[in-house]
Amino acid sequence: MQTRLWAWASALVLATTVAVAGTAWAGAAGDLCANPQKVHGFSTCADIAAAEKEGSLVVYSPDVEQGTAKTLEAFRALFPKIATNYVRLQTGALYAKLQAERQARTYVTDVLNLSDIGLVFDFEKRNGYQRYVSPEMVAYKAEYKSKPEGLWTWGSINLGGIVYNPKVVPPDQAPKTWEDLLDPKWAGGVSVKTTNSGLQHFVWYMLNKELGPDYWQKFTKQKPHAFDSYVQQFDLLVNGQDKVAEAAQYSGYLEFKGRGAPLEFVIPARGLPGGPEAWGIVTNAPHPNAARLFLDWFLSPVGQKPFLAALYMHSPRTDVPPPGGGQPISAFKVLLPTDWNDFLASRTAFNRTWDAMTGRR
Amino acid sequence: MSGATKERQSWGTRLRMSWKRLATVQGAITAVGMLGCGALVLYPVLFLLLESFNTGDPIAFPPERLGFANYADLALDLQIVGHTVFVAVLATVMAVSFGFLLAWTLSRTDVPGRRLLERMIELPYYMTPLVGALAWSVLAGPKNGFFNQLWRLAGGQGDILNANTAFGIAWVMAFFEGTVAFMIISPAMKSMDPALEESSRILGRSKLNTMLGITLPLVAPAVMGSAVFVFAEMLGSFAAALVLGLPARYYVITTAIFESTFSYPPEYARAAAMGFALFGVMFIMFSFYRRIASRGVHTTITGTAFRPRAMAMRRWRWVLVAGCWFYVFLAVILPMGALLLTSFQRFATVMVRESVFTLANYRTALQLGPIRTALMNSVFLGVSVATVGVLVMTLLVWIIYRSNVPGRAPIEYLIMFPQAVPRMVFGLAMLWAWLNIPLPIYGTLWLLALAYFTVLLPLGVRTLAVVVLQIDRSLEECARMCGASWMHQLRTVTMPLLRPGIIAAWLLIFMASVREVGASIFLMGPNSKVIGPSIISSWMSSGTELTRPWPSSRPSPCSSRWRSSSAA
Repeated sequence: MQTRLWAWASALVLATTVAVAGTAWAGAAGDLCANPQKVHGFSTCADIAAAEKEGSLVVYSPDVEQGTAKTLEAFRALFPKIATNYVRLQTGALYAKLQAERQARTYVTDVLNLSDIGLVFDFEKRNGYQRYVSPEMVAYKAEYKSKPEGLWTWGSINLGGIVYNPKVVPPDQAPKTWEDLLDPKWAGGVSVKTTNSGLQHFVWYMLNKELGPDYWQKFTKQKPHAFDSYVQQFDLLVNGQDKVAEAAQYSGYLEFKGRGAPLEFVIPARGLPGGPEAWGIVTNAPHPNAARLFLDWFLSPVGQKPFLAALYMHSPRTDVPPPGGGQPISAFKVLLPTDWNDFLASRTAFNRTWDAMTGRR
Repeated sequence: MSGATKERQSWGTRLRMSWKRLATVQGAITAVGMLGCGALVLYPVLFLLLESFNTGDPIAFPPERLGFANYADLALDLQIVGHTVFVAVLATVMAVSFGFLLAWTLSRTDVPGRRLLERMIELPYYMTPLVGALAWSVLAGPKNGFFNQLWRLAGGQGDILNANTAFGIAWVMAFFEGTVAFMIISPAMKSMDPALEESSRILGRSKLNTMLGITLPLVAPAVMGSAVFVFAEMLGSFAAALVLGLPARYYVITTAIFESTFSYPPEYARAAAMGFALFGVMFIMFSFYRRIASRGVHTTITGTAFRPRAMAMRRWRWVLVAGCWFYVFLAVILPMGALLLTSFQRFATVMVRESVFTLANYRTALQLGPIRTALMNSVFLGVSVATVGVLVMTLLVWIIYRSNVPGRAPIEYLIMFPQAVPRMVFGLAMLWAWLNIPLPIYGTLWLLALAYFTVLLPLGVRTLAVVVLQIDRSLEECARMCGASWMHQLRTVTMPLLRPGIIAAWLLIFMASVREVGASIFLMGPNSKVIGPSIISSWMSSGTELTRPWPSSRPSPCSSRWRSSSAA
């Protein structure tokens, strides 16, 4: 009797151990579905029928309006049963809106794109991301993905440099280095973006590291004016109202150049501060299956191509060509933060300095 | 029976009568109206008030810590307050000057084509300040603004105009508000006895001296009223300050509220405190305006009958009419022409020497699904809010001005309350209020419809009130005497008589809904995009040239009914 009891107990312990170990193993690797299916040239673990039944997808993104609209229309062309919609605001404003909604337990967002990794980490800490390991994520380097994988992934890389109009500033007088922008001759003729822009945070942080904090103190004397997007910055360069744009987006330059704008991009020898855009699915997303399907599509070359064609950014994937008219990212010395926690902690100081510099406070 | 007992009885009788009146259909509708308006108007404002004292986590609601720090911090924003007041004063002076001169020319002189000119002068109101600001940024932007390019082509040096200044913002707003001032002053001018001016002329005063020494003092209450009204409106104006002020680092309170709330970490409490301070000033200004309007409007009307006679201006009439048409040219034709031209350009600037025309902006605007959706949503909201709004407002107007149920006066105050709250502040208040109640209408067109209805209550009620007051009570009493119920009387007598006013109010509410920006900017969700904020979003992230193909002005019914109601 006792032997039989021991046998039952041992069997129970063994079964439990196997079950726990099995679950743990599934959790570690598990993240990917057993049989991803191939549709329209990309792999997906999403339930397509369920996604189509949901019939809708809402993306929050800071990218310029028509670029986001074109990207979503490319997705919809493949899945016409899924209506797509978006909210476009600069990263800071977008995050503030999202947080206000979530605080009130109002969930309308499915997929979130943020261009400030500091805010991405903050959202991750607040359990804002829903984990989904896309089969397309294998093409992305480990440092381009969240840990654990599947919360967020870099969807594109943005570079910030100096842009000027050669019809206003002769090329031999144009700034060549970041320090050249401190010349009093640019005073009142320089523009930047507002604190809401993720790229500005990267530029501020990296130039702080490279040139010291007094660089920005000196730059404040140039009385830069701040805009919501590169579009306004470059409009003022084109019409001659401004002389140079600091922390100017390379993708925006390519887009304007493609339309025939008289603009030139300067690559300072110290390098170009770069910043990724991180994409992920939001917890309590009202259309989770559609969100998974979209993320799979977006991270694949099939989705990256229309996205980059519309927005001229660089893909983190190596199998996707650089944006039209642009050089590959390997041609640039990209300045990226190495300590993300330090970067995250610098947000308040950045806001304060940048607001004072641009006359908002 | 002692006096006290009599008083008690009379109180008792009064209470019983009040209860009897309340326990009728009218009473029930009054109670529902009061509760509904109270909830719609006061509930968001209370949220905003609470948020203005929030000194803890800006996103947490209810606030974790309360204090006065946000109000104390307003001292740090003195420059912004100074900018706001400066622009408001500048625009008010210009707008009232435009309004007075135009009203005098078209009401008191014999210039030709007055009726047509009156219609044309109303057009800037329908163009909206946002469209005006976009147009003037193209026309008078520094360096390559259209005028500056022409100036340099003519051999000039530097810039002749700069729209990105306080003067530029005031200039754009002055055209919009100048029309409002014209509409307020003009009826007072028309109802003025010309005998006083004629006496002045007979005694040898010149026409100019008569205008300044006789006409102006006589219509001073209307001029003062328009000045107070325009100043209060200017304090809450947003679009022109955003488009023209931002490139020059020129912030006013509304743009600072916008920047504070659309950033991370959001400064909702600072914005709420700023909004409340602005509300306080606007409330005082509007109360002042109401006092002036109620006192001064009759001073030009005498007991004796008179025939309005226009002053013969002889050869000066052509100068005056040219001045009026020049105003129309500057306020309407030139900006619309500039917008049209820019809509065919590759960039937001019309380069005179190297213009390249393209249809790409129209293609983009029409091809993009969200843009089409925004257009359709705005029209749908305009029709819905105007239709439902006019029905409810007519009922409210009748209760306030014709019924004798208790509680009429509080309803009127509640309805007029949103007029003193800047739209942007009200939008922020509604965002907080509706996000934090378990009714899932955030991000839907329902919330925008509720917001539009609430902020447009004063406009609709004022428009309808003028018509209701013009209808003789005896017509309704006749119906009642013949045994008609109240509802039957409303349907068969009151409503048909009100029809012209209802149509005017419907059109006004429709247009105001379609062009709404301040409240929509906070309440618009991914599935509820509307035109106004979408134009701003396009301006911010797609370039000015893409904003041009959007419908940039509202249709212009311009009924004389509305003009008289606005003036009233």
